[in-house]
Amino acid sequence: MEELPSITVSQREQFLVENDVFGMYSYFDTSDIATQKFIVEIHRDKQLDYLMNGLRQLGPSFSSLDANRPWVCYWIIHSIALLGESVDDDLENNAIDFLGRCQGSDGGYGGGPGQLPHLATSYAAVNTLVTLGGEKAFSSINREQMACFLRRMKDTNGGFRMHNMGEIDVRACYTAISIASILNIVDDELTRGLGDYILSCQTYEGGIGGEPGSEAHGGYTYCGLATMILINEVDRLNLDSLMNWIVHRQGVEMGFQGRTNKLVDGCYTFWQAAPCVLLQRFFSSQDLAPHGSSHMSQGTDEDHEEHAHDEDDLEDSDEDDSDEDSDEDSGNGHQIHHTSTYIDRRIQPIFDSLGLQRYVLLCSQVADGGFRDKLRKPRDFYHTCYCLSGLSVAQHAWSKDEDTPPLTRDILGGYANHLEPVHLLHNVVMDRYNEAIEFFHRAA
Amino acid sequence: MELEIINQTPIKPAAFSINCTKQPLSLSLSLSLSLSLSLESRCYVTLADQKFESHTLAYLTFVSYHRRNMHGRPRKAYKPEEEAASAAKAAKLRGLQSQFMANHHNKIYTKEAVDLSTKLLEINPEAYTAWNYRKLAVEDKLSGIESDPDLVKTILDEELRVVESALKQNFKSYGAWHHRKWVLSKGNSSVGNELRLLDNFQKLDTRNFHAWNYRRFVVELTKRSEQDELEYTDDMIGSDFSNYSAWHNRSVLLSSLLARKADGFLPNKKIPDEYKLVQNAIFTDEDDQSGWFYHLWLLDQTVNVETPLLTSSWPSHSSRISLYAGCSKGSFSKLTTFGSESGSFPLVLYFDQAVGGVSSSTVTIDSELKGNEDLVWEPVSKKNSQVSCVWVARLKYISSEPCFGKEYKVKVRVGNSPGIVSSRGCNFSASYEFVFTAHVHDTVEESSQDGIVSWKDGFDIWDAESKDLNALATLDRSNAQMDSKWRQEAIAEEIDLFRELPDSKIGKLTLARLLMAKAMISDDAVKGVHYNEILELYKDLMALDSSHYQYYKDEHSVALLRKVTSSTEDLSGHLFRCRNMNNSVCLRLNNLSLSRIASVEKLLFVQMLDLSHNELHSTEGLEAMQLLSCLNLSHNRIRSFSSLDSLRHLKQLRVLDVSHNHIGEHSVDTTRYLCSSPLSNSEWPQDEVGSQMPSLVTKYWDAYFVLRDLNLKQLDITGNVIAGDEFSSFVLQVAPKLVWLDGKKLEI
Repeated sequence: MEELPSITVSQREQFLVENDVFGMYSYFDTSDIATQKFIVEIHRDKQLDYLMNGLRQLGPSFSSLDANRPWVCYWIIHSIALLGESVDDDLENNAIDFLGRCQGSDGGYGGGPGQLPHLATSYAAVNTLVTLGGEKAFSSINREQMACFLRRMKDTNGGFRMHNMGEIDVRACYTAISIASILNIVDDELTRGLGDYILSCQTYEGGIGGEPGSEAHGGYTYCGLATMILINEVDRLNLDSLMNWIVHRQGVEMGFQGRTNKLVDGCYTFWQAAPCVLLQRFFSSQDLAPHGSSHMSQGTDEDHEEHAHDEDDLEDSDEDDSDEDSDEDSGNGHQIHHTSTYIDRRIQPIFDSLGLQRYVLLCSQVADGGFRDKLRKPRDFYHTCYCLSGLSVAQHAWSKDEDTPPLTRDILGGYANHLEPVHLLHNVVMDRYNEAIEFFHRAA
Repeated sequence: MELEIINQTPIKPAAFSINCTKQPLSLSLSLSLSLSLSLESRCYVTLADQKFESHTLAYLTFVSYHRRNMHGRPRKAYKPEEEAASAAKAAKLRGLQSQFMANHHNKIYTKEAVDLSTKLLEINPEAYTAWNYRKLAVEDKLSGIESDPDLVKTILDEELRVVESALKQNFKSYGAWHHRKWVLSKGNSSVGNELRLLDNFQKLDTRNFHAWNYRRFVVELTKRSEQDELEYTDDMIGSDFSNYSAWHNRSVLLSSLLARKADGFLPNKKIPDEYKLVQNAIFTDEDDQSGWFYHLWLLDQTVNVETPLLTSSWPSHSSRISLYAGCSKGSFSKLTTFGSESGSFPLVLYFDQAVGGVSSSTVTIDSELKGNEDLVWEPVSKKNSQVSCVWVARLKYISSEPCFGKEYKVKVRVGNSPGIVSSRGCNFSASYEFVFTAHVHDTVEESSQDGIVSWKDGFDIWDAESKDLNALATLDRSNAQMDSKWRQEAIAEEIDLFRELPDSKIGKLTLARLLMAKAMISDDAVKGVHYNEILELYKDLMALDSSHYQYYKDEHSVALLRKVTSSTEDLSGHLFRCRNMNNSVCLRLNNLSLSRIASVEKLLFVQMLDLSHNELHSTEGLEAMQLLSCLNLSHNRIRSFSSLDSLRHLKQLRVLDVSHNHIGEHSVDTTRYLCSSPLSNSEWPQDEVGSQMPSLVTKYWDAYFVLRDLNLKQLDITGNVIAGDEFSSFVLQVAPKLVWLDGKKLEI
């Protein structure tokens, strides 16, 4: 160990990437205004062309994704939704029909028709249907069978298996709980021991690895943190070290890396920025426990009666009342925007949001549509989905909550670049999430 | 060229771009083109769509930049014959796939059928259904020939071969790696084979986490020695010290070796060696992150003890407390006085990490105070968590047979029987006993707390000479319980080293963390010096690295509170006695720009806390201060009542000042987490207030949940958006015992 080589392979690669990125930045800085405006703009038409074409015909080179077709649907349809657009009725019906054929007779979705149900593709399918929205999409999901499928994937160690006889990891846990949460089928059986499993995957660095003993990784950190929030056990994680790990994954290029000493990659714009914003919102305003301990400890019989009572009220007039109230609230909120107190609803993000947006728009965006890992790499739908999702997260990172719209100066390229806000725990567009949650709570 | 563009104004930029890509422009041509266009463009403003014009221009210059600097590699357009070939390949794959599906669904496991799945997987290792099919096929074959070990081996070897060629196609395939694990767990293959295979893959991609995971799996399955694996990380780090995966595996292996005290792996010997190893990497290139994280792990190993420890308690060891029946006033200046309507007082245990299993069997109480045989211990934490750093039980001192004017000794034994376990699964092993004296007074005073509590007048300075603080503040006992010599030496050495490192951000941050570790295990006398240096470092960092400002700010707050609580001298400067409040102990920590709370374990005795004029967003942490009766949070950054949720644990809290915060500027966002609104949540119980004024409860639900569980007599809410007549009337309903609201006495 005495004589370490002066430059390692990783360092050389890092050097080359920095060279590209900073070359791009200095080109941008010295360009005229028109060029600058062009470069930072999200070219919506190009992006939509690329996405719509992808949806219409998955070309021959996509055959390797044949076990992942619901994912391709999700990446594309979610990206379109982020741009504030929807697909036409034909495409929507095709997607619903296709996903319906991926749905197994005993629950869950496979990577294609006839394939084994798999948690990751089930997640992609559910998120796609939530994003499409509407009665037809929602009711195409067999909730009861899905609950059975999730229970079959549950392992005695608290975690979940990806598929029958498949691997157990944090991805499986997240996708299972995200599905269960949206479909409103979470129960004690699903959450039992899950927190312990996730906890065993948090490493000393602070991030979360894929399985016990693995090194911390951006994608798994998102999955682990979101799972812990969804099952209401987030305070069991070491949040200080998690915060410390994650904020230092943003490097000099201003994009995020996925692991310690790896190269920057556009897709981590979402995987790392979303946990940052989740942590920041968790710390700035502790959420009220949806199942507060003092309420839970009451007798179960009593609770059941109250359930019934509650629902009756909602059927009658209360629902309308509360809706109006909340409308009024947000109305007031908008008036407050124009006063000086608006500033207090804002928060300094714990990462460099504008720097991150700059990386994505300058280095990841492809002028002909699509996004990519980094300069010199080809575009693909996966990176398009997670670069756009991450951009949306970065644009809304200054608000202490999802209801507060960002200021023009929060968005690199101004409001022309504004993307729809996403639900940070599921990565579906907020409005679509709200519609779905209402449907599945009524379904319960 | 110019003319072309102008004439074709309606063309889409897309069409134009394709032209560009197909005919690479030379550097000089593209430059002159953009130059001339930008000069000319002014003339066309009125003629053509301005936006389009500037777009085209920008696009041109942008593309030319890429040409120049991205070293060509234009996205290659598919030639017709290539397209045909790839279409044919896709058709073939689809054919394979549908045939395979038919075999799978009909449970056909003939040789031809299995070979077909091999072909499919070699093209597409992601086809997890095919991996499962193979598992079924193998099980099917094995069931017939279990007695023949050679045949079994042949079958399993074939599986390993298929996995290997699939991994060559895509070594990030989850399904392929998982299948290999499955085959191995059937008892096949040798360590040598697997390690050879891994070496090949790990050379190709040294950071592939599938390969590393698989490596750990093989090592565990074959019981390969962890020492050998440690040597492997030596080699990997030696050839590339940026390889963080190797560093990480090293930390995993060492943790295990140290935990089971393997031969030659004692922390006091091994950890200093590791510091030297990582110094090499850090000082070779301080911008390389890998070493820094390993360094962080080492620091953790140096400072933290895995087994949970009791950090402090209230009452503390050898302290005297005075107890009254009912609320009281009087002057017993040298004692903590405590009165409560319920005739009980809290017994608080504070552990250095979250533990579970605190109960009347793991913690025993020996005293003459009657009725405390089966104490109920409750975790003081949010939600339903059964683990917590803080546990509280309520000791009764007025039972059916009151015997006042007497002193009682109370002996508490923590860890009497095993059962207290940290959330990481370590047992609380160092059982600990402490004794305190409870003096029960017979003065039953009439309720006198209807007077308004002022934060301005009636405070006496703490008598710095008095010794009673020693009894109030529990000393940091953790240093007594570890063999601290090598730890101190190791940290001191690192600090000297990092002082020499030029001003890098990560260097400063590491130095701050090292100093924090040093301060924790050093004598009180030098703590203050370290904390001052830490505070300076974080100030520098806030200025140097604005993108992580909030993180440094929080760390700064933690260091500041550590400093304030580090010695009796420091602390007594912030302590007061409140005459009007029965000489309650008051701690003032105002105007310190605190953004978060820390060090509460040292402050369990505080009864009045003034945190006004800080930058707090939340009261998280205060839930441990079970004696707190008055809390001043005015002029902070509290945004909603939900941020005060932790106060619901403070059963003694009577006076709360949250004036001049930001409560109500925005309705609390409920969509952030699970439920769309807590009121649509079926867990929400309808109580009296809820049914009397449903619309107000709906509007102020966050305030409702907090205020309902508090027992406030005095509340200040003015200077918040939420404050107003409507909210006041709501508060009166939810907090019926309230006497003072915003400084005005309520007419009851």
